[in-house]
Amino acid sequence: MATEISKPKKNLLPYILILPTAIFVALFTAWPVLLSTYQSFFRQRMNIARFREPIFVGIQNYIDLFNDQYFLLVIKNTLSYILGTVPISIILALFFALMVNRKVRNVGLLRLAFFHPMVLPMVSAATIWLFFFTPNYGLFNSSLRFLGYSGAENWTGNPNLALLSVIIVAIWKNSGYYMIFYLAGIQNLPSDVYEAAALDGANSWQTLWKITFPLLRRTTVFITIIAFIDSFRTIDHVFVLTSGGPSRASSLLLFELWLQRFENQDIGISAAITVIFVIILLFFTITNFLTSERKEA
Amino acid sequence: MTKKLFLILMVLLMGLSACAPAAAPAPAPEEEAAPVEKPAPAEEAAPAEEEALVEETMDPVTFQVFYPVAVDAPIAEILNGYVEDFQAEYPYITVEPVFSGGYGDVQTAIQTTIDGGGEPPALAVMLATALYDLTNADYIAPLDGYVDAMENGDAYIADFLPVFLDNSYAYDQLWSIPFQRSATVMYYNMDMFAEAGLEAPTNWENWAAAAQTLTTTDGDVTNWGLQYPSGWPYWLFQPLAIGAGQNILTDDCSVVFNNPAVIDAIQFYIDLSAEYGAMPAGVQGVWGTAPTDFSSGSTAMIIHSSGSLKGIVEQAGFEVGLMGIPGKEDGAISAVPGGGNFYIMSGAPQEQQDAAWLFVEFITSPEYVADYSINTGYIASSFSSYDTEAMLAHTAEVPQALSARDALNFGGAELATQNLGAVRGISHDYLQRAYNGEMTADEAMTAAQAEADAALVDFCE
Repeated sequence: MATEISKPKKNLLPYILILPTAIFVALFTAWPVLLSTYQSFFRQRMNIARFREPIFVGIQNYIDLFNDQYFLLVIKNTLSYILGTVPISIILALFFALMVNRKVRNVGLLRLAFFHPMVLPMVSAATIWLFFFTPNYGLFNSSLRFLGYSGAENWTGNPNLALLSVIIVAIWKNSGYYMIFYLAGIQNLPSDVYEAAALDGANSWQTLWKITFPLLRRTTVFITIIAFIDSFRTIDHVFVLTSGGPSRASSLLLFELWLQRFENQDIGISAAITVIFVIILLFFTITNFLTSERKEA
Repeated sequence: MTKKLFLILMVLLMGLSACAPAAAPAPAPEEEAAPVEKPAPAEEAAPAEEEALVEETMDPVTFQVFYPVAVDAPIAEILNGYVEDFQAEYPYITVEPVFSGGYGDVQTAIQTTIDGGGEPPALAVMLATALYDLTNADYIAPLDGYVDAMENGDAYIADFLPVFLDNSYAYDQLWSIPFQRSATVMYYNMDMFAEAGLEAPTNWENWAAAAQTLTTTDGDVTNWGLQYPSGWPYWLFQPLAIGAGQNILTDDCSVVFNNPAVIDAIQFYIDLSAEYGAMPAGVQGVWGTAPTDFSSGSTAMIIHSSGSLKGIVEQAGFEVGLMGIPGKEDGAISAVPGGGNFYIMSGAPQEQQDAAWLFVEFITSPEYVADYSINTGYIASSFSSYDTEAMLAHTAEVPQALSARDALNFGGAELATQNLGAVRGISHDYLQRAYNGEMTADEAMTAAQAEADAALVDFCE
């Protein structure tokens, strides 16, 4: 503190630099979060005349939510969705990055193939996949049949497969994107350690396991964070593929939030879901960050 | 350490920004949004303004109309043409059409604008079934005043097909004008029927038998006799229930799920696959692919929206039959209307609302209603439009357009209740549980009834 007072000019610059971001964040992030927190303690429904004005109900909205079997189902779906998408996307991304990092012919074509799903808007991607998933003659089912699969084919309509189909599309869409980060990470790795390893006679598996993976740890942390956040905020494909069905088997937290706010016009409940949403994200981000930072120190 | 703290903060904020769009239900300063008391435009305002009107009408007015694009037709192009015609007739009015997605997007945009204290567009086309949500939230203005002020207001209203006005009245007032309307119908491949020596079905029994006969296998691929989409099921299910003798609603405060006829209808849907093998089993997310499967000849019958007629007729290399959905017994063929109506937003300035009404009147004149139907495949919503030359020529060429209208003679009301989002969601959940065999039809409807009744309590006590 004392240094700041004695050398004010020197320390002012950083604050000026972050001011635009700070204002932006305060306006579009902090304020809405505070407002949602406030609104979550009120009962307010726009489509019931007598509840249009907010009425204070304490934590009743939260109690209602956690007693609601559908909300619990949505939480469960969301967790399954995250567990289903994040680790697999990341492993695939690393695998793709290692593949396209080699000096082979037509590597550009391969990179394009892995990356192109990212360029498509999620809605288009999901629409294409909806056709792939078509029972009977859909490409996905035909391919699976070719590989000997003879199980259920009604991917978006079967309660046991609907969430899985949403997960498949997300993995397909995101792996190529995360691959780019890994590729950048790999290409920035210091070459001297690899030379040293080569001199020591390390085989390629040892190089990969003992050098590449550990050095990519920071990239992995970064990708995990964005993959996690992505999996919370991307629901376009849910709208297109399943509308959250059948019987809400593929409904996710943000989809539920949209339903409550815009279909049911329930401001109190949707504010409470928002708060829960933010808490989950905060919890994850802090844990993730603290653990990765601690190891670094 | 401070650097670390700073980094942590930045990451936190990144995380938060990521969910900010969802987390930002706009601040709703109620005082600003609320003062728009439901105006009774013409009756109260008109006498005082009568004189001023003559001069005032010449003041330029600009208003927006939010228009959903829900079908595969060049809606924007067509509507922009109508707007030009309108502006030629009313040079002082400028109409700005906004095409920003489907029905859901339009309604969400308007809700967000109004809840956030902003000024909504004066005019929008939204689902006819959104009626109660829109009136309860005080988003829309009643239209009785405008109709009363018309020279032939009663005749104007009487000209609309009655079934399309079903969802226009609430609390003894008129809230919307039908325009972009459709119906649940069945398309059938008349060539296939003729080849198999079959007649168009008249009841569940001969319908299911026909579907069974027309189901064929070709290697790995089955050509189904019938495709009946159920990814978003209530609308297409309703005709089955009506055909069994009971629609799933009686009024805005009471739904009928736990009823023998409704359960019978669900059981029939299940039997079409389980017993007759004429349809794939379980929930069918085939809304998007069914019209193509039908017009390519790989499916003999589909249940779909009348709005798909234009595309199907253009693509099909066979005679396309169109009819209502067969009922349990002979003569109980039925259809359910769907689609959107014009609503005027109460939060828009009065002069914009008045101009918007002029546009509604203009575009619901017989010529435009006919033209819109011909170019999009929507069902023309007024009787007089069927007498226009253009429509007579069109229906001579595509007689199925008349079948679509006639199917509605035996129509029932579309599910439009209080708390629509919740009630519709409940109906979807339990219909799909029954279709997928997670519950029996009976169990599912008992549970659905209990939940729906509970969801309506706050609205209807």
